[in-house]
Amino acid sequence: MRRFIESSITVFSWAAGLLLTLALLTLVGYLLKKGGSTLDVSLIFGDTAPLDALMLRRQVFDGLFPAIIGTLLLITGSMLIAIPVGIAAGIYMAEYCSGRIKSFFSLLFDILAGVPSIVVGLAGLSLTIFLHRYFSTQITTSLLISCLSLALLVLPYLIRTTQTALESIDPLIRRTAPALGASRLQNIVRVLLPNSISEIVGGIILATGRCAEDTAVIMLTGAVASAGLPRSIFNQYEALPFYIYYISSQYTGPEELARGYGAAILLILICAGLLLTALWMQRRLTTLLLYR
Amino acid sequence: MESPIKISTQALCFYYHQQQVLHDISLQLPTNRITAITGPSGSGKSTFLMILNRLWEEIEGCSISGKVTVELDGRLQDINNKALPARVLRRKVGMVFQQPNPLPMSIFKNISFPLRLAHISDKNQTGHAVENALRQVHLWDEVKDRLNDDGRRLSGGQQQRLCLARALVLKPEVLLLDEPTSSLDPEASAAIEELLLALKAQCTLIMVSHYQDQIQRIADLRFEVREGRFISPHTEYKSASDV
Amino acid sequence: MNRPHSLTEYIFLTAAVCSGLLTAAVFIFLLIFSLPLLENGQLTDLLLSSWAPDKGMYGIYPMLMASLTLACLSLSISFPISLGCSFVITALAPARLRRLLLSMVRLMTGIPTVVYSFAALFLLVPLMRNILGQGSGMCILTAAPVLALLIAPTMIIFFVNSFANVPRSATLAVDALGGSEIQKLLYVMIPQAWPGIINGVLLGFGRAMGDTMVSLMLAGNSVSPFNSLTQSARSLTAHIALVMAFDFDSMEFKSIFVCGLFLYIVTALLMLLLRMTTLYFSGKR
Repeated sequence: MRRFIESSITVFSWAAGLLLTLALLTLVGYLLKKGGSTLDVSLIFGDTAPLDALMLRRQVFDGLFPAIIGTLLLITGSMLIAIPVGIAAGIYMAEYCSGRIKSFFSLLFDILAGVPSIVVGLAGLSLTIFLHRYFSTQITTSLLISCLSLALLVLPYLIRTTQTALESIDPLIRRTAPALGASRLQNIVRVLLPNSISEIVGGIILATGRCAEDTAVIMLTGAVASAGLPRSIFNQYEALPFYIYYISSQYTGPEELARGYGAAILLILICAGLLLTALWMQRRLTTLLLYR
Repeated sequence: MESPIKISTQALCFYYHQQQVLHDISLQLPTNRITAITGPSGSGKSTFLMILNRLWEEIEGCSISGKVTVELDGRLQDINNKALPARVLRRKVGMVFQQPNPLPMSIFKNISFPLRLAHISDKNQTGHAVENALRQVHLWDEVKDRLNDDGRRLSGGQQQRLCLARALVLKPEVLLLDEPTSSLDPEASAAIEELLLALKAQCTLIMVSHYQDQIQRIADLRFEVREGRFISPHTEYKSASDV
Repeated sequence: MNRPHSLTEYIFLTAAVCSGLLTAAVFIFLLIFSLPLLENGQLTDLLLSSWAPDKGMYGIYPMLMASLTLACLSLSISFPISLGCSFVITALAPARLRRLLLSMVRLMTGIPTVVYSFAALFLLVPLMRNILGQGSGMCILTAAPVLALLIAPTMIIFFVNSFANVPRSATLAVDALGGSEIQKLLYVMIPQAWPGIINGVLLGFGRAMGDTMVSLMLAGNSVSPFNSLTQSARSLTAHIALVMAFDFDSMEFKSIFVCGLFLYIVTALLMLLLRMTTLYFSGKR
């Protein structure tokens, strides 16, 4: 009987692994089959000459260019906000905080990490309404609001990665610099951070991936189907994930649909690229920074 | 020939959370001697070393009572005086750990690290200090051609000598050694012991060790700790006359 | 705790406090915006009545049920599969295949949810339409497997990690007795790692409840209560995304903040539960 249970669990496990692999391959294969042929320059730039579009001399109307730029702006903006705050808070959690305060803070950050992204978007939206009502009626959902909301979305990841990276440093290494007369800050800046930099950067890149893929936050805070390039951070914008969602329900013909597949492939490429960079970084970065 | 007192403790007690680790320790450690502290594991030997450079402050849940004084630059200082910053104290009271702990950086950077911490950035001065420290631990000839190699690629004995050199580069007056040879093979241990004897001329050395033969060979004075209490000094002025 | 004694420490402290305050701020914003509805009707009314704005009813009961059903269904599909995969990755497969599978699972965490839903919309929905022979093909039964695929990597990674944390001495003992890999898993690793497994399931449930795109694009979004899994339904998250278009001052619009508030509270409770199980089991060891 035992032997039977053991072998049936083994068989089931292999089947589960196979099923998961097949599901993934089907999904990616289907996307590639449907959208692979659309992957060319005109997918991104439409009829506009690429150089003109890149130099911002001409608008791109029937290409993904504005959506790609919108996504890049989103990533850059939200990471610019989230990285300094997240790392500083992570350092505080690992190096200065202790006892009850620490466990209270970690509970807060855990909750923030678990809050569904649509709720974070809703918070961004309510901030906009609040500002609109009490400060200026000019304020609407915009690139800035989206960046702030996305920064909030990834903040707990950055805090946690920094904290765990610092906390997992060998106690021997941790005590070396103080024994040589380093102040707490010197220890953090010269030994602890360089020692954990690869993990922290890995965390940053994964957080970037989350910013790039998130749809729920931006659909509430300013992403629209056609806006062209945003003129400033106070304007609405296009973004790849929102474009994919929009096409899925509003496509008018096979051509638009094919562009949706193309956008999906592009988004996967961006996210997979970020993920692979994170892995590559984790091997290289410590050495790079310490032997400069 | 008695030497002057370098460090003295009075009614020193030490606690980790609720637990008392050291009980009412009063003793005096002579200048330019090797004082050995011995005893079973967990008896509080290493804790005692960490009191002398205030490294215990880096560990959560520790507290201390009693008085510890050390003579630095000819002046008697209270170790736990808050006006004396821990990092200033630790530059004068160096420490070598049981496990060699080279930082993940090059050999040169490892040795010059304390200088950078003390904001000494003059290139020439740094270069000289590093060379001197490495010569002092007889490591210079072995590594002079590969100063930019990772410090962790050296052998165990070399790593420990590297750490000794790193502790010496700031010219400390007191050197704390926490079982400095226990992770090394006999040959490397002998090299370290020889270095320690030579260092007596410039430093006061306090060494935790549980090798009786090692203590016999190099220590001038020996204390035994049992369950957090120092048993009356069992003095062996073996080599006192050599100094 | 020591008082901060340097400027840099104050900076770090400020960053941490700000991040903490933001967590509270999200809650307060949601609360303030949903107050008009909470004052008007009873909370139980809101949670237990249906959605009929034209009759002045803003109950979120159908959405609540849809979210719970979707989360439970996808979890019950995903849990055994994830556990099986984590067995394969932890012990059953040869070393090289293990690494390959683990990197595949890691890669899956990076695939955007909107892409999952997009592919399923054109792959799975027509299939369901044919099988059911009626309707649009968008229903709970379509969304659940996709959601299961979405939460699987999170759970697998959590399971694999908690298996990896089982002390080596314990597994060596089985090896020394000549046990097979599956015996090692069943009799040593699972008994030791099951608090981690529970935590993984809790997290998976949280992700399933919180996901927007899958249910929004695949479950059909009908507001009427559903009687079977093959009917269209609208989750809380999708409800928030869809009502967005309405007038900012309308009651419909305010009701989405009640949904948001509810999701926030569920998350907070889940995290508390997670914390408590972790504490409970670590105290027991």
